[in-house]
Amino acid sequence: MKRLLTIAAALGVAMSVGTAADAADRTVKIAGFGAMSGVVRSFGINTQAVMQAAAKAINEAGGVKLADGSMAPMEVTFDDDRCNAEEGISVVRRLASGDAVVGVGPTCSNVAEPLFGILQAKAGDEGDSGLQFPIFTDTAIKGGLAKISEWAFRNVPNESQMYKSLFEWLASQHPDAKSVYGGVEEDFAHSRFTWYKVMKTRSADVGYEVKGESKWLLNDTNFTTQVREMKRAGADIIAISAHPFTTCGVLKEMARQRVKYKVLVGLTSSSSLETLNGCAKQAEGIIIPTSFAPVNPEAVAAADAAAALGGSADLHSAAAWEIMMILKDVIEAAGIQATADSVQADRMAIRDGLANLKTTKGLLGEIQRTDEGEAVKPYVYVHADDGSWAVLHDPNA
Amino acid sequence: MSDFWWDVIDPIQSVLDGVMFGSIYALIGIGFTLIFGVMHKINLAYAAASIGGAYASLAAFQLLSAPALVVFLCAAVASGVIGYAVYICCFRFIPEHLPLATLMASVGMLILIDEVVVHATAGMPEPYPAMFDDVMIDLEPFWVRGDLLMIFVLSVIAMMILLYILYRTRLGIATRAVAQQPAAAQLCGIGQQNTNAVTFIITGALGGLAGAMVGASVGILSPLLALPLTVKGLIVTVIGGLGSIPGAIVAGLLVGGFENVFQYFRGVTERDIYVMLLLFVFLTFRPQGLFGRMSTRD
Repeated sequence: MKRLLTIAAALGVAMSVGTAADAADRTVKIAGFGAMSGVVRSFGINTQAVMQAAAKAINEAGGVKLADGSMAPMEVTFDDDRCNAEEGISVVRRLASGDAVVGVGPTCSNVAEPLFGILQAKAGDEGDSGLQFPIFTDTAIKGGLAKISEWAFRNVPNESQMYKSLFEWLASQHPDAKSVYGGVEEDFAHSRFTWYKVMKTRSADVGYEVKGESKWLLNDTNFTTQVREMKRAGADIIAISAHPFTTCGVLKEMARQRVKYKVLVGLTSSSSLETLNGCAKQAEGIIIPTSFAPVNPEAVAAADAAAALGGSADLHSAAAWEIMMILKDVIEAAGIQATADSVQADRMAIRDGLANLKTTKGLLGEIQRTDEGEAVKPYVYVHADDGSWAVLHDPNA
Repeated sequence: MSDFWWDVIDPIQSVLDGVMFGSIYALIGIGFTLIFGVMHKINLAYAAASIGGAYASLAAFQLLSAPALVVFLCAAVASGVIGYAVYICCFRFIPEHLPLATLMASVGMLILIDEVVVHATAGMPEPYPAMFDDVMIDLEPFWVRGDLLMIFVLSVIAMMILLYILYRTRLGIATRAVAQQPAAAQLCGIGQQNTNAVTFIITGALGGLAGAMVGASVGILSPLLALPLTVKGLIVTVIGGLGSIPGAIVAGLLVGGFENVFQYFRGVTERDIYVMLLLFVFLTFRPQGLFGRMSTRD
C-alpha cells in the first residue's frame, strides 16, 4: 500500500511537472505586420515597439490565462509588408499557415483593402475558401474597411466623427470663420479619402462654404502653384489632408507666400513627431483631432514603455497597445488552448470573441465597437504649441 | 486686382517658379549625361546617391550646427564619395560589353542607397537647412522666392565650374577624349579607368549639390525624393540629348517650366502624363534630343 502511494505521489508530481512544462511551452503567438521598410517605416517601428511593450507588460503581470487555467506568455513577431499590397497578402498567407492565433496590422490602407478581400467574407461560410485568420488593424485608417470580411477588425479612429465634431467646435469657437479651403495629397488613399469624404463633407455639413482644394502628390517638392491657389481662395480655414513630408513643404510655402487664415486644420496622421521634426515653426497652431495623447497615467505609461523599446506612441501605434490588451481579455474570455492542434479553433474563438465585443477599454476611455468590426474611439483635439503637441480641447470632458 | 489679371499672372508666375526649380533637374541631368557621355552607360543610382549625399551632410548640420553653405558643400563631398563607391561596385569590374549588367547593378544600388537612408532615418523626414527661405523678392505683381533664386544662382555657378573643368583643364580634356575616342585616348596615355572614376566623383559632387538644393527648397529631406529625381533626370537627359551638357541645362529648365504649366492648366494628377508625353514626342520626332548628336563615339 505504502509502495502504491509512493508511485501515485510520484506520478502526481510527474504529471504536475508535465503540466507546468506544457504550460511553459505554450505561448500565445501574436503576429504583427506592417511597413518596416520604405518611407513609412517609422509607422512599423512604432507599432512593433508598442506591441512588444504591451506584451512585456502583460507577461510581467503573469501572461494570458488559457482554457485549462494555466498562464502562458504572449509572444510577438513582426513582419514587413513594405506598405505593398502583394507583399502584405503574401505575409498574411504565410502567417495563416503558421501558429499565430491573430494578426495585428497592416500600416497602409492600400494593403488592408485587398488583404481583407482574401479573408473569408462571412465567418463559417463553407462555400468561401478565403483565409480564416483574424486580423486586428491598428493603423490603416481609410474608412469602412472592416466590413469587407468578418475576420477583419479595426481599432482605428473614426475620422468622420472626429472631424464633424472638430468643425462643429470650430464653428462655436470661431464664429467669424465662414469658409474652408482644402489641401490634399491626391495619390495617397488615406489623405484623399479624408479630404473628399470626411473633411470636405463634414465642414459643409456644419455650414462652411467649401471654396475648393489644391492638390499635390506624395513625393512632390514644389508647392508654389498650389499655395497660390490657396492664397487666392482666401478661405478662413485651411484644412490640409496630407502626410508630414508634404504637409511641411506646403506649410513652409504658405509662410513664404504669407497666406492668411484664421484656423489651420491637419490630418490625423500628421499629429506625430515627424511633423514637428520637419516644420515645428510653420506648424505652430495647427489643430488635429487624435485618438491618442498622453493625458492620463495609463497613456503616459504606454508611451513610456514604447519609448523604452525605441518607439513612439501616437494615434496609430497607441492603438496597437489597446489591441494587445483587448486580445488578452478576449483570449481569456474565449478560453483558447494555444497548442499546435488547436490553432484554427483558437483563431475562430478569438474571432467570435472580437465580433461579440460591444465596448473595450482604451487609453483615452471606453471604445465602442460596431457590428462591422470598427471602433468608435474617444478623441481629443491637439495643437502644435511651442514645438510640441498639446491638448487644446477634450470633447468628452 | 481682378480675376482676369490673376488668370494672366498666375501661369507666368508658375513658369517662373518652374524654371527656377528646373535648375535642380538640370544639375541631375548633367550628372546622367556626363556619365553617359564618357562611358556610354546610364547610372540609375545617380539621383539616389545625390539624396544619399544630402543625407550624409545632415551630420554636419545636426552634430556641428554648420551653416547652410557648409552643409551644401558637405553634401557635394559626400555624394562624390558615394559616386566613387557606385563606380567601383557597379561599373569598374563589369565588362564593357555587358551594358545591361551595369544598368541592373545601378538599379540595385539605387534601391540599396534608398533603403540605407530609410533604415538610418526610419523614413522620417529630416529638416534641412536653407538659405534665404523666408525671403520673397516682390516684383509686383510677380515675386521670386529667395531660396529658389539662390538655388538657381548656385546651380549656374556649379555648371560654369563644370564647364570650365571640362573645357579648360587637362582633366576635362582627358574626360572629353575618353568620351569621344576611348581607344585613341588610351593610346595617348590617358587612363580610361581613372578618367571614369574622376567623372563619377565630379558628377557625384554635382549631384550632391542638387540633392542639397532639393532639401533646401523644401526645407526637408525625405527618401521619397530619390525616385522622382531619377525619373526627371532621365527625362532631362533624353530631351537635352544624351551626352550633351548644354542640352541637359536647357532641358532641365524646360522640364521645370513645363511641369508647372501642365500643373496649372491640367492639375497635378495629369501633370506627369504631359511631361511623359513630352518625352515621347522627343523620342519619336527628335531622338537625339535638343543638342545631342546621333553618334559621336568610335
